[in-house]
Amino acid sequence: MKNMMKIILVLSFLWSFPAYAIDVMEVVKNANHVSYYKGSDGRAKVNMSIFDDQGRERSREFVILRKDDEQMDDAVQKFFVYFNKPADVKKMVFMVVKNMDRDDDRWLYLPALDLVKRIAASDERTSFVGSNFYYEDVSGRGIEEDTHELVEENDTYYIVKSTPKNKAAVEFSTYKNWIHKATFLPIKTEYYDDQGQKIRSYTALKVEVISGHPTVTSSSMEDHKTGGKTVMSYSDVKYDIGLPDDIFTERYLRKAPREYLR
Amino acid sequence: MIHISQTAVNRPRVFLWLSGLLSLVMITLVVLPSVWPASFALLNPLKIDTDPENMLSIDEPVRMFHNQQKKEFSLYDMVVVGVVNETDSQGVFNAQSLKNIYDLTEFAKNIQWQDKEGKTQGVISVDLMAPSTVDNIEPGGMGVVKFEWLMKAPPLNDAEALTIRNKAQNLPLLNGTIVSEDGKAMALYIPITAKNVSYNVVEKLKGKIAELKGNDQYHITGLPVAQDTFGVEMFIQMAISAPMAMILIFLLMWYFFKKASLVMSPMIVAMVSVISTMGLLVITGNTVHIMSSMIPIFIMPIAVLDAIHILSDFYDRYPLYKDRKKTIQHVMKELSAPMLYTTLTTAVGFGSLALTPIPPVQTFGLFVSIGVILAWIFTITLIPAYIMVMPEEKFADFGLMHDDGDGNGTPLARLLNKTGRLTFSYAKLIVFGVFVLAIIAWAGMNRIVINDNPVKWFAPDHEIRIADRALNERFAGTYMAYLMLEGASISTDMDQFSTALKDHMKFSPLVPLHEMASVVDEVQSKSSDRNQLIDLLIARMEQRMETVSDESWDEWDSALTWVGDYLSKDETFKNPDVLNYMGKLQDYLQSTELVGKSNSLSDVVKTVHRELFMGDKAAYRIPESRGAVAETLITYQNSHRPQDLWHFVTPDYRKTNMWLQLKSGDNRDMSALVKKVDEFFNNNPAPEGISHQWFGLTYINVIWQDKMVSGMAEAFIGSFIIVLIMMVFLFRSLWWGILAMIPLTFTIGMIYGIIGLIGKDYDMPVAVLSSLSLGLAVDYTIHFLARSREIRKQHSNWEKTSYAVFGEPARAIARNVIVVGVGFMPLLAAPLVPYKTVGVFISAILVLAGVATLTILPALIRLFERFLFKENSTRT
Repeated sequence: MKNMMKIILVLSFLWSFPAYAIDVMEVVKNANHVSYYKGSDGRAKVNMSIFDDQGRERSREFVILRKDDEQMDDAVQKFFVYFNKPADVKKMVFMVVKNMDRDDDRWLYLPALDLVKRIAASDERTSFVGSNFYYEDVSGRGIEEDTHELVEENDTYYIVKSTPKNKAAVEFSTYKNWIHKATFLPIKTEYYDDQGQKIRSYTALKVEVISGHPTVTSSSMEDHKTGGKTVMSYSDVKYDIGLPDDIFTERYLRKAPREYLR
Repeated sequence: MIHISQTAVNRPRVFLWLSGLLSLVMITLVVLPSVWPASFALLNPLKIDTDPENMLSIDEPVRMFHNQQKKEFSLYDMVVVGVVNETDSQGVFNAQSLKNIYDLTEFAKNIQWQDKEGKTQGVISVDLMAPSTVDNIEPGGMGVVKFEWLMKAPPLNDAEALTIRNKAQNLPLLNGTIVSEDGKAMALYIPITAKNVSYNVVEKLKGKIAELKGNDQYHITGLPVAQDTFGVEMFIQMAISAPMAMILIFLLMWYFFKKASLVMSPMIVAMVSVISTMGLLVITGNTVHIMSSMIPIFIMPIAVLDAIHILSDFYDRYPLYKDRKKTIQHVMKELSAPMLYTTLTTAVGFGSLALTPIPPVQTFGLFVSIGVILAWIFTITLIPAYIMVMPEEKFADFGLMHDDGDGNGTPLARLLNKTGRLTFSYAKLIVFGVFVLAIIAWAGMNRIVINDNPVKWFAPDHEIRIADRALNERFAGTYMAYLMLEGASISTDMDQFSTALKDHMKFSPLVPLHEMASVVDEVQSKSSDRNQLIDLLIARMEQRMETVSDESWDEWDSALTWVGDYLSKDETFKNPDVLNYMGKLQDYLQSTELVGKSNSLSDVVKTVHRELFMGDKAAYRIPESRGAVAETLITYQNSHRPQDLWHFVTPDYRKTNMWLQLKSGDNRDMSALVKKVDEFFNNNPAPEGISHQWFGLTYINVIWQDKMVSGMAEAFIGSFIIVLIMMVFLFRSLWWGILAMIPLTFTIGMIYGIIGLIGKDYDMPVAVLSSLSLGLAVDYTIHFLARSREIRKQHSNWEKTSYAVFGEPARAIARNVIVVGVGFMPLLAAPLVPYKTVGVFISAILVLAGVATLTILPALIRLFERFLFKENSTRT
């Protein structure tokens, strides 16, 4: 909460727009854009700390490269995730091509087993490498998958309630997003089950402005049922670095593009 | 002692009022805090404890270890729900049954409530194992691995239901656990926050099951359910058996003494004794455990024991005096010494249980002991007092009609007379018979099997027993045991560590390490442990790498990986050799036939590895390198339930937990398994200095049983010696003391011989019996010998003495045997096996002790008459 207040404070100084009536889809689209589509490409070093309910910590460290498709805004994009830690899975790569019209394509490269695996996209709501973030949280949930409703608006936030169109595909019944008015960054997301119990929550812990883009550089995901929590911290965040397209091909899984990963 | 009885005779009403007041105070002190706990916080309310784990004290190392491991591996006690369908050819794998299972699972997930302290209790939904809550791992076509819920939604038709079965059977972690071995039944494993919520959870599940359609049968079991249900039934039994015992004892005494108003007095003694003892138990803050719940049923017959001696004597003497005061004075004079001694020996017998290392047994022994002494005090005061307040005219037609006090009127009296004559004529034959029986008993005792199983505390037709059989026939087992393996501890010597690290770095083929070796000393000075040292070293390398060229980057990167990986050799359970060793151990466990199934980290790695290689059966193995193991493990963590991994291994990979499903919860089988595993470790030295340690409820049961058996043996030997000393002291003679121990030794030997011969397990109630029978069986002997010696003074030889002894004294003993022996019979009506066992054996012990007293003693006295009475006569 304290963190959140700090973030709001920073954001309020930088952007102060008068409040005006807005269509809920507009809010959702903007939020989707600022969360996943800043610049034409980007890279960040991510440190992930996974805590279980006993407070035991495990960590992951990876570099994430992203490139958007130039044809259409906020549509197809590619991710390349290269693992540095734990040391015993170093060089492991996870690659995603996010599609609009069909399921995403996902690959996993396991160097010690010398295996390139395509991972079935049947369920994206499974754990991302043992953390409390899901695959879908990392690559973004398609805005067309839910119906959205603006349930509340105050000086700082649009509070959007989203209900999945295909209820059977997900573990939650609805979720609420606290979208910061000035930046459209989702600052808090809460997922609820059928009984209206909060089962999972995302919180942006730190926001920095990088190359003109307000960027969440630290965030957490808590699972209220298992008592687990994962904190992701971003460093060396860069935008518009001119990543070539061919990096995001199977060939580069085995031979990672060194110059972009340093 | 006679003094206090005299006082009671003189001021009877004071004593009766006082005892009534005492009972009232006791009841009030228990009821107030139990009904209004908030208003009477200083008093101890009635606390029920049904947890067999409490057979071990809370700081018992095995128990502390058990709880610590449960916490570390996030394990909970489980309710197991088995679903069986005997009408459908596919068993439960049809659309309707799976729909029911799906609905039941959804329902179970939401069984939670807030307890009084605001803590959430009920089902731990995230760890629930059911087809809709576990993942199926499978290759999803060419080069694709997928995780999906095994049963995301109920199947639309029976063919889909079969697909679900086939998927589950393909996964070693689910086959035999969730899906039965024959592929027809299913089991749900419902973890709960604490054992004592299981009754609540089960009641809710039963409510839901009643709403489900179809002809599925649901069986609910699991140790926590058995234990919690036991607690509930314990009260039913207390409420039924105790009053029934009262009524029976009353009726028998009425039959013997003909006067209902008079035989009310022992009933009052019994009631006041029970109320005072149980009151004391509760107000001193002790819990009512399975053991202490038996206290009333023990005190009641013992409490009437002395009263029967008094009434019996009174009944036989009254016609001589025709004056209740004179009669009672005569009776008390005659009986005071034997009653004191019988009370003390009984108290010692039970009191010896306080020396056992099992807290509930200690409490039981101590409080029965207190109860026995209280009963004695009430007997010697209230019975005379009661007789005194009864109008004299009520006794007009009272008592045995006889001329010399040795009437032959009743069948009992005739039988006893005859017995007396036989013991005189056939003394040698009797002693010979005792020898033969003793040999048989010895053979039987050698066949005793020490074994217990809390589920078997229920009668065979109890629903828990039925569920237990139904599930263990079909699944790998509902009894859980856990085997923890741990790598050898790591040295904390930092100098040694950094010296080794520097050496490794200097001689590494990776050139950047040579440079970095020089900063090891510096980072060591800033770090308190090896993890911190490595972290600092990595930070320094990353700093340095910002300035290296792209050409040398790869080498630096490899050097960085080398450092990062340096500590991973501490991760014992990522080592392929270790995982293969575990696999070998599991194969061995299976071969012992004591284990239904074992689940471990090794199975997880093998399964994921197989699925990574297209489900190829040949790929069901541990990969060769540590890195490859790490990759299968991280792949596994991409599922819906990554936290499942931490049930098998700690996140630092230093400790692992094998989950063993056993089909039998018999301590005998668990003990055998422990022995077998020790053998395996001896014959197959484990890599990396791995040590093993058991935990889990099934194992805990073995530990307290061992403690019980050895504790009971010590308590028995201890009390045997004390009673012997008391006997020597009472009779002022070593030989008379030894003689007094013979009937009880014979009785106990016979009882345990019979237990061995009929194949009855030596379990918790049987173990308790040894000390009890010692305390009770000696009573008859004391009465018999004390009275014999008294009567002998008036007669010239044993033949004449024997005739008198088999009059009133023998009748008192016989009446006692019948009343008390039958008094324990209502325990047979109890739905719980331990109570039945106690009922049968206590009755058997009393009858046998009575018979032994009335046959062996006179036969021995006859044979050693000169020797025994010579000593006596020289002293007097």
